[in-house]
Amino acid sequence: MTASTLTSSPTETGSASRRPPRAGENSPLRDRLSPLRLILAILATLLFVSPIYITIVNAFKPESDIENSPASPPLHPTLSNLTAAVNRPDQLIQLGLRNSLIVVFCSVILIIPLASAFSFYISRRRTRTRAVILAVLAAGLMIPPQVVLLPTIRILTVLGLDHTYPGLILSNVGGGYFSFAVFVYVGFMRAVPSEIVEAARIDGAGLLRAWWSIVMPLVRPATATVTIFLSLWIWNDFLNPLFILGPEQGQTITTGLYLSLGQMQIDFGQMFGIMFLAGIIPVVGYLFIQKQFVAGLTAGSVK
Amino acid sequence: MTVTVTSPPRRAPWLRTLRYDAGLRALAGLGLVLYAVFIVLPLFMSLHSSLTNANPLYASSKFVGLANYRQMLHDDALHSAVIYTLELAFGVTIVANVIGFAFAVLLNRTNLSYRVLRTLAFLPQVISGVITGFVWETILTENGVLNTLLLHLHVIGQPIDWLGDPHLAQLSVGIVTAWVLSGFTTVVYLAALQSIPQELYDAASIDGAGPSRRLRSITVPMTAPATTICVTICMITVMKLYDIITVLTGGGPAFATQSAAQYIVQVAFTSDEFGYASAIAIALLAISAALALSVTHVLRRREVNL
Repeated sequence: MTASTLTSSPTETGSASRRPPRAGENSPLRDRLSPLRLILAILATLLFVSPIYITIVNAFKPESDIENSPASPPLHPTLSNLTAAVNRPDQLIQLGLRNSLIVVFCSVILIIPLASAFSFYISRRRTRTRAVILAVLAAGLMIPPQVVLLPTIRILTVLGLDHTYPGLILSNVGGGYFSFAVFVYVGFMRAVPSEIVEAARIDGAGLLRAWWSIVMPLVRPATATVTIFLSLWIWNDFLNPLFILGPEQGQTITTGLYLSLGQMQIDFGQMFGIMFLAGIIPVVGYLFIQKQFVAGLTAGSVK
Repeated sequence: MTVTVTSPPRRAPWLRTLRYDAGLRALAGLGLVLYAVFIVLPLFMSLHSSLTNANPLYASSKFVGLANYRQMLHDDALHSAVIYTLELAFGVTIVANVIGFAFAVLLNRTNLSYRVLRTLAFLPQVISGVITGFVWETILTENGVLNTLLLHLHVIGQPIDWLGDPHLAQLSVGIVTAWVLSGFTTVVYLAALQSIPQELYDAASIDGAGPSRRLRSITVPMTAPATTICVTICMITVMKLYDIITVLTGGGPAFATQSAAQYIVQVAFTSDEFGYASAIAIALLAISAALALSVTHVLRRREVNL
């Protein structure tokens, strides 16, 4: 899903709501058909999101209700599934959320300055130099994680960082996520006039200063896009934490669920409770920043 | 990295530039070094070990030439994993694009209620593959939600083992993957629909074009770039699919739903054949790249012709 955001630029955050009304929308036939269309749209959407609906309602239902009427709303609402999920002796949810937050936070906070400074640096180089560097970086977006996983673990072993969080974070910072961030930043930095930077230099500011005080505030939308998508992808990452951290280290929310729930049977109630708690953070985050999210995802893909 | 310091007239400004710019160079260089260490170097290490019999149980590895690549030709488990992955890639791509396009046309209205529905339609894309796998497992398992509902409605007489029967399991993995990717395609197609100028539809209506003609002659061609993006990204995503299958079926029953990506991990970490695993990984990269490039090529030509 990375490639669609590559050509994003600040001007392309188009939104639907500003479109003038369609000419046909006021015709008598349209008027008669529009309630039908809305009903059809609601039914199709509800069917589409039914697995999410089932997770939410069943997280708040007693086990007998789940078994007898899994699709009904919680008629006897209970918090026992959630407390069962939170009170597990292995502290799956608490530790997983904590570890995932640490990995996401450290990875993103490191990628942003590195990728942004790198993008600023190459956006001041000649076109051909820039094109070569971007082509090398494009590989990072296309290479499947399985191809680089084994050597990455060997490199981390040499560095003494295998099976550690710093190792996982470092491989995130240097991996394909870096390419993604650079592509987003380079697109935005093209729109920054070089005169502004040169003026700052004449006033005695070094490039570092010019980048941090002038360019970074101008490319804030790029920083938002990078933060949103990298946070989501690193949060949802599975293969890398599974093998780089290994089974002994504390788990992230994805590997923790897999390693503790894959082995044994637990009742449906607790399962739905765990899934609800494990999935709620990205879902709520998405609902809050939906507009930037969709703009970042679709920018450049519709031209 | 090229350090291009244009030769200055005097020495002092040159030194000053170097000193003033050292901070940014260091930061940019650090990013590049990390990328070189964690993408470029591993890629070459993979290429190298694909030509050896590397195995963590051996003290040293030996150069074996193309033996690992020849071994792939006679590996039945690999063949069935690759065939299933390709079937999945084509099937899921078609289904996810048809659903995404239809959904986008249906939801392409600007009232509040449609905006709420559009928000919901993207949700599958936000949830991690692991959670998606577990949720669908509780739905599809033999005493799960789907069978309970179907039994209640008397659609079926006895529970269907959606994940236990090899063919149904293959189908189930496809449905779940298509579900996730449909959220993505819907959003991209919606954005494409909103960029079509209304004047085109008005002019076509005046010329007497009905709804189906307008769909065929305006909507489909005008969303062709979105189709290119959606098809390519669906293909690439399925070709490296790992998390959903691992949680949903674990590659079973009897390896029926094992993907190529899973097979690589199995060869690498269960059989410890690092050399062979690297060779398969390189081959998978080549197949995915060739597939993505040819699909993009065909679809770009289609964009022009439509």
